[in-house]
Amino acid sequence: MNQGIKIHLINTNKFKTNLIAIFLSTPLERENVTKNAVLSAVLRRGCEEFKDQEEISKELEEIYGADFDCGLDKIGKNHVFKFYIESINDEYLPKKNENLLQKSIDMLAEIVFDPFIQEEKFCKDYVNQEKENIKQIIEGKKDNKSSYSLFRCMEEMYKNEPEGLYKYGYVEDLEKIDEKNLYEYYKKLINECKIDIFVSGKIENADVKRILEENKNIKKLDSRDPIYNKKEFKKKKQLEKENIVNENQEVTQGKLVIGYDVINSENDEFDKNLKYIGMMYNAILGGTANSKLFQNVREKASLAYTANSRYYYNYGNILVMAGIEISNYEKALKIIKEQVEAMEKSDFSDEDISNAKKIIISNIESISDEQDSEIIYFFGQELSEDNISIEQYVEFIKKVNREEIVEFAKKIKINTIYFLK
Amino acid sequence: MQVIENLKVKEKAYIEKLKNGLTIIIVPKAGIRKKYVIFGTHYGSNDSKFIVPGENEVTEVPKGVAHFLEHKMFEQENGRNSLDVLSSLGVNANAYTTNTHTAFLYECTDNFYEALDEFMDYVQHPYFTDENVEKEKGIIGQEIMMYDDYPEWKVYLNALEAMYHNNPVKLDITGTIETISHIDKEILYKCYNTFYNPSNMCLVVCGDFVPEEILKEIEKRLINKNSSGEIKRIYEEEDESIVKPNIEVKMDVSIPLFTMGIKCKPANQTQKVKKDIAISILLNMIIGESSTLYQDLYKSGILLNSPSYEFDFTNEYAHILISGSSRNPQEFYNKLNEEIKNLKTNGLDKENFERIKKKLYGEYIKEYNDVSDIARMFLNDFMNGINSFEYLEEITSIDINYLEQVLKNDFDTEKMVFSVIKNS
Repeated sequence: MNQGIKIHLINTNKFKTNLIAIFLSTPLERENVTKNAVLSAVLRRGCEEFKDQEEISKELEEIYGADFDCGLDKIGKNHVFKFYIESINDEYLPKKNENLLQKSIDMLAEIVFDPFIQEEKFCKDYVNQEKENIKQIIEGKKDNKSSYSLFRCMEEMYKNEPEGLYKYGYVEDLEKIDEKNLYEYYKKLINECKIDIFVSGKIENADVKRILEENKNIKKLDSRDPIYNKKEFKKKKQLEKENIVNENQEVTQGKLVIGYDVINSENDEFDKNLKYIGMMYNAILGGTANSKLFQNVREKASLAYTANSRYYYNYGNILVMAGIEISNYEKALKIIKEQVEAMEKSDFSDEDISNAKKIIISNIESISDEQDSEIIYFFGQELSEDNISIEQYVEFIKKVNREEIVEFAKKIKINTIYFLK
Repeated sequence: MQVIENLKVKEKAYIEKLKNGLTIIIVPKAGIRKKYVIFGTHYGSNDSKFIVPGENEVTEVPKGVAHFLEHKMFEQENGRNSLDVLSSLGVNANAYTTNTHTAFLYECTDNFYEALDEFMDYVQHPYFTDENVEKEKGIIGQEIMMYDDYPEWKVYLNALEAMYHNNPVKLDITGTIETISHIDKEILYKCYNTFYNPSNMCLVVCGDFVPEEILKEIEKRLINKNSSGEIKRIYEEEDESIVKPNIEVKMDVSIPLFTMGIKCKPANQTQKVKKDIAISILLNMIIGESSTLYQDLYKSGILLNSPSYEFDFTNEYAHILISGSSRNPQEFYNKLNEEIKNLKTNGLDKENFERIKKKLYGEYIKEYNDVSDIARMFLNDFMNGINSFEYLEEITSIDINYLEQVLKNDFDTEKMVFSVIKNS
């Protein structure tokens, strides 16, 4: 394959299906997020061979209900277009020689690389309508209070930085987009982005390679020095004063989100182990039913049904979230802070450490039992250039010790306290 | 053990009914690391009025007991919480309650048998105290309030409320803050002893197991308990009619949400699977992604994405639900009604029918990709008296005449309700 375009084959006989994915990675920038959102929606409207959604849907149904999916993700400082098609392995079909794998690969490549174009433009109706739909998605981000609160806290922590961008963009940027400039943008993107193609299933590598090499849409892609953000070491200092953000909405239950930074000193080098230590820290603090947050906020104080924490290792953040009665704000905040302090004081048992290891390792070991998880895992490795195998991953988790977790705990500082009430 | 096999998806299920009445279903999956166990009792939020085997009096308990019990099962006499114990073994444990059953489950890669010890122990040993029951009211209260802020949940419940006069399916599974305030440990024990009897339960395992071995391991961990006999469940008489055709409330939403419901007659046991498949195909043909109706509604901006649809049924009730969001729900509803009428008059398109059949065949095969999906499917179908393989058998033989009959009988405009949530 040409430079900047990478094929990944995953041989597995665990599934009834073959899963094919095409990922396009491009830097996350305010200028482009909204365009990306509209583009991703316009591409699924139609391509040269299947001009509209009805034709696409009918073809998918015809090949035994293949699932097509596309979405956008923020991964580190990249915006990633994800296109998938999942279809049944021929072995489980009532008829022989349907060759669904080839049909699926060809169809996916068609949708991504050969869109429906009229006079060097996207179809005007598609673009206008998808702009309206994206507007609705942007305005609808408030509808799910949990994900909205997490996003808002992140946004407050990263004002005017790519990490704080909303992945579907901004309403005020929509009006500048039309069928002509969006197509120009698409051509540039396809020529510059990093392209990764995954095929997973009970497959013959030689067959798949031949299908990919002979595919007219993949063949026409040029070599590129792909433009995307590689992993970087982000320096973070403790804030002099934490941000307090209160937002009012009509809610029965308040959502408290505390955004923590994993700070480091000027001299710190990027430590590969940080990710694994952070995962361990997070599991003990709020990642499991055994965790300090679940036990103390929910089980002991009976303040919440949800109380947990998440580790965003790409960003160097931990977000703690609890759904609480609005009047219990002070009480909940106090208990949460106590749990974070306890971590710093090494106030957790050896059992907590071994439990966290078991949970995390079990999750890692399940990766290859889920077809999409396995693809996402290898894609993550590709983007970060870590190239850690699943076995190595388990070993890194096993090696994490108490001192490292406490050392990590000392770096956890509040950036923003966000409360939706 | 009874062995059933499906040659299309190339899987087998081993079924054993023990003397004490417990059914065990084993679906072996060679080469998969993940293992999944689910233990269910045929006892859900709908069962609040019943006659305990051996008694004459009717027992009526507050709404929300099944769900409350689910929460409280984890508490153990030694002061430990089984969820913590399982968690500490590195397994993912959870539980859920539906209208018709309660299920406890875990999935893991390692420590399977240690986890099985704890798992089977806690489901068979309740421990309720005044204090631990009171404490749970705070947590469940927050869970109820969390659902209060989910418009998707509200619009669904409202549709059921418009459909059913008396059937408890229309009520919140959790109960309300008021109903759960009346729950105490005596009520919990009474319901536990009634419904958590082996004869009312089913255990499903899926993973890389030798069926005979895992069966022995399960039997070893069962406590001695006899089959209790039939539990008489009392559901109030439900009229065939709906309560009201429309229900609309205001909530903070960025786009109106809707759930359209059709009240149907429950199918008899032999027809259940066939009818379920027929309705799935019909719903695909009416409003699925390739349907003319959906394409028109999408292009005209009335729908932004394809609505979800389902057919929900037990022996007591059956209904079709179509849910989604729309800029103009009323217009959607009108067009949907027109299309149903149109298909009734002009008949179904043979080509569409064959294509949707292929789609469903693929969907049924995909259900066998993941141990958790398989185990949950077998449990859920068991609670409905169905063996999951039946779907793959029936789909190939279903014909278009049967579909037209179902369309005429079950898509009855007199039985339709429309629930909407709009911005205040």
